[in-house]
Amino acid sequence: MKGAHRVIVESRKVKYDFIIKRNITILTGDSGSGKTVLIDLIRENREYGSDSGVQVSCDCACRTVNNEDWERQITETSNSIIFIDEGNRFLTSKKFAELVQKSDNYFVLATREKLPMLPYSVSEIYGFRVSGKFHEARQTYNEIYHLYGEISEKGVINPQYVVTEDSNSGYEFFAELSKKRNISCVSANGKSNMIASLRNVKHKKGICLAIVDGAAFGSEMRDVCEYMKVAGNVVLYAPESFEWLLLSANVIPAVQVSAILEKPEDYIDSREYASWEKFFTALLIAQTQSNPVWAYSKRKLPGAYLSAKMTGAVKKIMKRIMWDVSGEGFTESSQKN
Amino acid sequence: MLTIIYGNAKNSIYNTSVYFKNTYEPEWLETDLAKEMIQDIDGSEVISGGCINSPVLGMIPPERLSGGVKTLLLILNEPDRIFNASTCGDNCAKWILEIGKQQDVTINLRHMMSFGKDTKFEIVIQNGGEIVHSMEEMIPIASKYLNAMEQE
Repeated sequence: MKGAHRVIVESRKVKYDFIIKRNITILTGDSGSGKTVLIDLIRENREYGSDSGVQVSCDCACRTVNNEDWERQITETSNSIIFIDEGNRFLTSKKFAELVQKSDNYFVLATREKLPMLPYSVSEIYGFRVSGKFHEARQTYNEIYHLYGEISEKGVINPQYVVTEDSNSGYEFFAELSKKRNISCVSANGKSNMIASLRNVKHKKGICLAIVDGAAFGSEMRDVCEYMKVAGNVVLYAPESFEWLLLSANVIPAVQVSAILEKPEDYIDSREYASWEKFFTALLIAQTQSNPVWAYSKRKLPGAYLSAKMTGAVKKIMKRIMWDVSGEGFTESSQKN
Repeated sequence: MLTIIYGNAKNSIYNTSVYFKNTYEPEWLETDLAKEMIQDIDGSEVISGGCINSPVLGMIPPERLSGGVKTLLLILNEPDRIFNASTCGDNCAKWILEIGKQQDVTINLRHMMSFGKDTKFEIVIQNGGEIVHSMEEMIPIASKYLNAMEQE
């Protein structure tokens, strides 16, 4: 399944209106915000149609699955958005993760569990809140909102050391940028090691910049953000992926992917790519494989990617991060999210 | 005292919503603490043990309370059982601490619940026997056990 799909669910008392654009979306946040109510309304509409008093509007089918016979229900469903509430033990199972990653359905999961086997994006973790928009006295409008942004800091930051999730090409790139600034850069060697790596540098003075692939870091986001709240000196930068940054830099000869980068959801088939991170890696490899200078490898970064042209373009994309100056910490205008 | 088991916990009640539906007693909703929790988290008023006035849904039975409130009521009223408190949002954390002050309870957490950046508490982590007093102490320990959680 591809594309962005607007979902409107409405009863006389409550209304939801949101857009789903990736294979995995997580609904989380406070208790009492309306996650279960949404899923109950979709289930009742599916079971009873107009008799339910619930209207569901979407350009593809919206359905729920229950604990009994869930494997068959998922396998026999296609081109649908499947909503699953917490309380279903199968959500954390390997079998479920396998089915999701090769499914042509999108999944909306109401859960607070980490689900480390599912490569979901930090950009697709949402909460609900009551909105003043479309206010009618008898109807509550529950608005969806992003829990996390691409960067955890609103102002400009001046990092004194860098920790990358990546241990290969991404690490090589940011180690080079850090070297030019005379600051240290270490690799966490994987997303689940990020908190341990940040703790190893917590005694150091100044701001630590943590760089992760946002498109697949969703399962760790909650833990790392809670750590950042108590540490106070960590800023998280979570672009879609390192390869997305390189493609967005738009300096690789004969690589024209701006239309794809503008609306990736229209090009990424959920059956082929479990995450956008995998798609952008495959795209960069495919676009550069016939160019001996720029042929991309995730294991070893070709020298061309460390050229002044490429590093300069990437720095421009990471516009809130000051790579070319010395000094410490946040600027005066910076504010924590 | 509050005790937490991170990750998979043997004999814990995972689907607290179904368990609540089949076991709750109307009297559970009629205590002052229950009424306060329901007002705070769901913004709802307890009319009786069988009826709650929700600002969104109107008059509802206890089964339609939020998952978090139902789990809090279970922890409060069946302290000898272990419930999956990852059905509770962070807005339930202060109430879990409050229940833990009143009686010994053990909960199962399968995610990093925030008890408040500046909140001081005393919680036993049953996995390794650690005692923690703040989120700063808790996060690395919880992270270690959550990362080690086996997926079935």
